[in-house]
Amino acid sequence: MVTITNLVKRYGSLVALDHLNLEIEEGEIYGLLGPNGSGKTTAINCMLAILKYDKGNIRIMGREMSPDCYEVKKNIGVVMQNVAVFEQLSVWENVDYFCGLYVKDKKRRHELVEEAIQFVGLEDYRRMRPKKLSGGLLRRLNIACGIAHKPKLLIMDEPTVAVDPQSRNKILEGILELNRQGTTIIYTSHYMEEVEQICTKIAIMDHGRVLAIGTKEELKSMIKTGETITIEAAALSEEQLADLRGFPHVFQLTYEEQVLKLRLSGAKHNLVRILHYLEEQNVTFGRVFSELPTLNDVFLEITGKELRD
Amino acid sequence: MTVFKGFLMLIKRNLAMFFLYFVLFIISCLMVQASMKEKGMDQFQETSLPIAVIDRDGGSLAKSLRDYLGEKHQLVEIRDDKKVIQENLFYRNIYYVATIPEGFERKYLEEGQKLQTTKVPGTVSAYFIDQQIDTFLNDVRILTQAGFSVEEAASEALRIGKMDTEVSIIDKSGHGGEMAPHANMFQFLPYLFLGTLCYIIGFVMIAYRKKDVRRRILCSSVSLKMQNVGLVAGFLVVGFGCWLFCMLIPVLVYRKDFLMDGNLPYYLLNSFTMMLVALALSFIVGILVENENVVNGVANVISLGMCFTCGVFVSMSVLSEGVRKAAHFLPVYWYETVNGIIGNNAELTTAQSAAVWKGLGIQVLFAAVFLSAGLAASKYKRQE
Repeated sequence: MVTITNLVKRYGSLVALDHLNLEIEEGEIYGLLGPNGSGKTTAINCMLAILKYDKGNIRIMGREMSPDCYEVKKNIGVVMQNVAVFEQLSVWENVDYFCGLYVKDKKRRHELVEEAIQFVGLEDYRRMRPKKLSGGLLRRLNIACGIAHKPKLLIMDEPTVAVDPQSRNKILEGILELNRQGTTIIYTSHYMEEVEQICTKIAIMDHGRVLAIGTKEELKSMIKTGETITIEAAALSEEQLADLRGFPHVFQLTYEEQVLKLRLSGAKHNLVRILHYLEEQNVTFGRVFSELPTLNDVFLEITGKELRD
Repeated sequence: MTVFKGFLMLIKRNLAMFFLYFVLFIISCLMVQASMKEKGMDQFQETSLPIAVIDRDGGSLAKSLRDYLGEKHQLVEIRDDKKVIQENLFYRNIYYVATIPEGFERKYLEEGQKLQTTKVPGTVSAYFIDQQIDTFLNDVRILTQAGFSVEEAASEALRIGKMDTEVSIIDKSGHGGEMAPHANMFQFLPYLFLGTLCYIIGFVMIAYRKKDVRRRILCSSVSLKMQNVGLVAGFLVVGFGCWLFCMLIPVLVYRKDFLMDGNLPYYLLNSFTMMLVALALSFIVGILVENENVVNGVANVISLGMCFTCGVFVSMSVLSEGVRKAAHFLPVYWYETVNGIIGNNAELTTAQSAAVWKGLGIQVLFAAVFLSAGLAASKYKRQE
């Protein structure tokens, strides 16, 4: 569906995209995950041919993408990072306007508009102006404007920024439903939980480069961390910490402000062994957490920094 | 087509502001029409002022002069007291005092002694009384020198003074020397065009220029060319619609008077070029103004600023020389110049016709300059 080869985009001396390569198959929900400024939005703008790039090649649906590639654009839907609607038009008029940029037949268009409004759950707000909608409802309107013409490829640039959890879930469910209906989706976000929840394939980006690509399972298997154990433990001695460092599978240990954090490579019974040791040593401990690796761990191991830094 | 329809839909949402400006425009027109009627310069009437004559001479010449002035003005009796005279002049009970000194008849006829007069400072009419007195006394002197007695000469001068002067006003405008009533309406038209178009189009342009909306439209399957065609068509339809709507007012209000006016094509052309200027200016406003809340203020500054400095609300003759010179650099000045010529002259001379075409041409040039500046600013903004 989308092939990006050696894409380079520079803003003066800043390299926004550094030989970016992506291969997106039809039917995927392809997540571009990376911190702010990692090049996600730049990559999307280049894909949509609204930003010129310095080097490389972008092919969408078998055709090289260019600003006048209207046949391809007809099949692409866009949901911008910021809400892109007309303040003075109602919900229905906004969806109708943006759908009208793709669908000329009035009757067909009105059907599509109605479907889109129902899809995002804005039936009760048809006549309202955007100003009167809450942040979550506005985001839904933004999505409705992008999907009304039933695109084959939907590009969503951080559609859930500043959205309440209820609306976020509704949006994510909607994205999964669209994918089930056959839409290929490119989804950018810096919320790893979202990407993990909905994306079938993920590319982790930083400094305009792809650091790793794969399914979430593939990405997690690339890293050493199999489990992270966090224990609130009081007054651990240096000897005890040394003992814990010597435990099997432990490859990283930190102890700060009475919180012990251990990173272990994948293995079973790690938690039982550690708690047993603490009991033997008469160490008082409080809350205990055991977490499987997240995409943040993947990002941390690859880049040495947190995704949210 | 979608871009065009959307443009019109957004215009429709802002029509309330158009009607607000329209109501202000109509009120201004009605007020000016009413004030013009009050002035009523279609008939000539001699000015008659309250004046006083203090006769210390008591001779026949003095008596005749008093009678003569009594024919022309309203004589008010006051005491021969300096304080009383000053007080009456101060309160404008009288505008002129002629004091005939003792022995005036002899001294005037023999030595040409002048009459002592007191008038309200700066009153133009008082100078006419001076002239009237001079004329009367000259007539008497000439007649006495010709052999008439003072009584006979005074009586004859009095008779001549009673003769009415026939005054005929040259009716160049075809409206009793006054500007055509519809020309008064056209005088205010720039305010309506500038105010409404700068506000409405500025507002819509800002909505279209919002970065994300623009990007969403650019991502669509509508070609850039068609998007621009849609916007330009929207501009022209709004401008033309506004002009057409405004042209209906003189047709409905002044009917035959307007439709039969020989300068009708000039009125239409002049207002059309002004509409083009306003349209081009509104394009600049839409490009340069970033915030929707600022548009109204900017539209007011442009419309009121130009209208006050170019003779729309205040006659150019009242404005200082400096302001009038500066106004040459504004399109509304040229609009008002053309409107003044066609409003005051039912038939144009060759020189007037040339001045009209010059004014129209300059307005078109202004529109072209504003449009070019807007396009340049638009290109610069897109590159930002």
